[in-house]
Amino acid sequence: MSSVLSIKGLTKKFGHLCAVNNLNLEVKAGQVFGMLGPNGSGKTTTLGMLMGVVNPTSGDFKWFDHEPSSSVRKKIGAVLEHPIFYPYLTGQKNLELNAMIKQCPVANIPTVLELVELADRKNDKYRTYSLGMKQRLAIASALLNEPTVLILDEPTNGLDPMGIAEIRGLIKKIAASGKTIILASHLLDEVQKVCTHFAVLKKGSLVYTGPVDEVGKGAETVEVNADTANLKELLLTFPGISNINRENGSYHVTLRSGFKSKDLNKFLFDKGVVANHLVTQKKSLEKMFLEILSESNK
Amino acid sequence: MLHLLKIDLKKMTSYRTFWVVCGLYFLTLGFGAASGMELLKLAARLIESLGENLNVNRIPIYHFPDVWLNLIWCSGFLKIILAIMVVISVTNEFSYRTIRQNVIDGLSREEFLLSKILTNGLLALMSVGMIFIIGLVTGLIYSPVIRFQYLITDLEFFVAYFLELFFFLSYALLISIFIQRSGLTIILLLLSQAIEAIITSNIDEVVPDLIPFFPMRSIWNLIEWPFPRYWLQEIKDSLSLGSVAIVFGWIVVFNSLSYYKLKRMDI
Repeated sequence: MSSVLSIKGLTKKFGHLCAVNNLNLEVKAGQVFGMLGPNGSGKTTTLGMLMGVVNPTSGDFKWFDHEPSSSVRKKIGAVLEHPIFYPYLTGQKNLELNAMIKQCPVANIPTVLELVELADRKNDKYRTYSLGMKQRLAIASALLNEPTVLILDEPTNGLDPMGIAEIRGLIKKIAASGKTIILASHLLDEVQKVCTHFAVLKKGSLVYTGPVDEVGKGAETVEVNADTANLKELLLTFPGISNINRENGSYHVTLRSGFKSKDLNKFLFDKGVVANHLVTQKKSLEKMFLEILSESNK
Repeated sequence: MLHLLKIDLKKMTSYRTFWVVCGLYFLTLGFGAASGMELLKLAARLIESLGENLNVNRIPIYHFPDVWLNLIWCSGFLKIILAIMVVISVTNEFSYRTIRQNVIDGLSREEFLLSKILTNGLLALMSVGMIFIIGLVTGLIYSPVIRFQYLITDLEFFVAYFLELFFFLSYALLISIFIQRSGLTIILLLLSQAIEAIITSNIDEVVPDLIPFFPMRSIWNLIEWPFPRYWLQEIKDSLSLGSVAIVFGWIVVFNSLSYYKLKRMDI
């Protein structure tokens, strides 16, 4: 796979504060890359440097194996932090202006407006838009030049549940079209659902990077419930059990390696018990994220 | 180049404040320049009430070639309005953070600055064109004899007028980039003349040779007060290359400083 972005030793210092510390990262074509980290971990500063608005203290990076330049940036669609537009211009005029800056055809505007479902509000001034509409206009603007890479920084920040669902659906739709996406987010559930790879930043340093698939690997936890009085005693006799605890009315059984949930199911069935609730839990990204962060403290 | 100018004009032409300020500027410039005779009559009445006599028709303010320098010198006072417009346009980019998004979208910082400088040039050129037309029309109306030789005398002062405006707008652009807040920038813009006057009046006995090099003073030296010629004093009615060079130097300094500041800052 060809390299979309390669970062080498990127550092940014604000006075004595080190916002980004010697960051090395590689993003390949077609990846949906999640950037995770607590507030103030340097995500936005990193993206700012990648988009030419923050001058790096040291280190360098390449887009598509080229030195960064304004013409390279024209091929990337990016929304950093929050949407930025001219409040006194209409949505349509803002996009026309962006098309002029990106030097792409104005004919793309109806398509992207349609995609983010803003076509019927295009002639209203930007300042009259709700936050969700502003976010969607920002995504429309990022998609305007048919970019091969899309950078989204907290695209669902401050939205209501419906707005979050809308944006998430939109991201999935865009990811399905084969674009490379770099997504910075707090919403780990979202990253797990959408991303193929992820990196964790903490206080400006990279503490983890890897594919999202690997998050699920390791010990399985199975959520079980059945209409039996002595279910717990029965489960404790299961040879593959390593831990058990009761949560929300059902038992959470952590399996020893080598055992799968179907083994547990078969075991119960053989004992004459039919489970009315059996769910295999994959280790969530959230759990892993918290583990990574606490490990990096040691 | 034209592309960058179009981008900046696109930002401005849907902005109501821009139309209001520019409209007021060009209206005041136009009507002000064309109503010199009325102002002169008003002055005559005032003087008459003091017991003196002034025959306004004998003061050839609108005669070729006097009209050029008279209009240019007076119009210089209105440049502050145009400069405030530039301050609003540039500080808006910082307060809305649109300069950040412009760069993210693929405009380089140089291109951003150039788009603003080009707009400055356009505004200055429009003022020059307007004053030229008003001067031509009023000159044709009021001059008793129209000789081509008189008509083309002093036209070089339009170069000076352009430099004056472009100099001042470059200065407005520079302080907008440094301060980034419209209120503070406008106050500094309004006080610049006074601040410089305080400095120069304190040092003019120590280093008198330096005084002509001060930026605001260099404008006064470029286009001198033309009216003393009506009470028969000598005025400088040709462009001095020295003062042109000083003003030109300041234009280069201002725009280079804007460039270096913009290049180095995190936006």
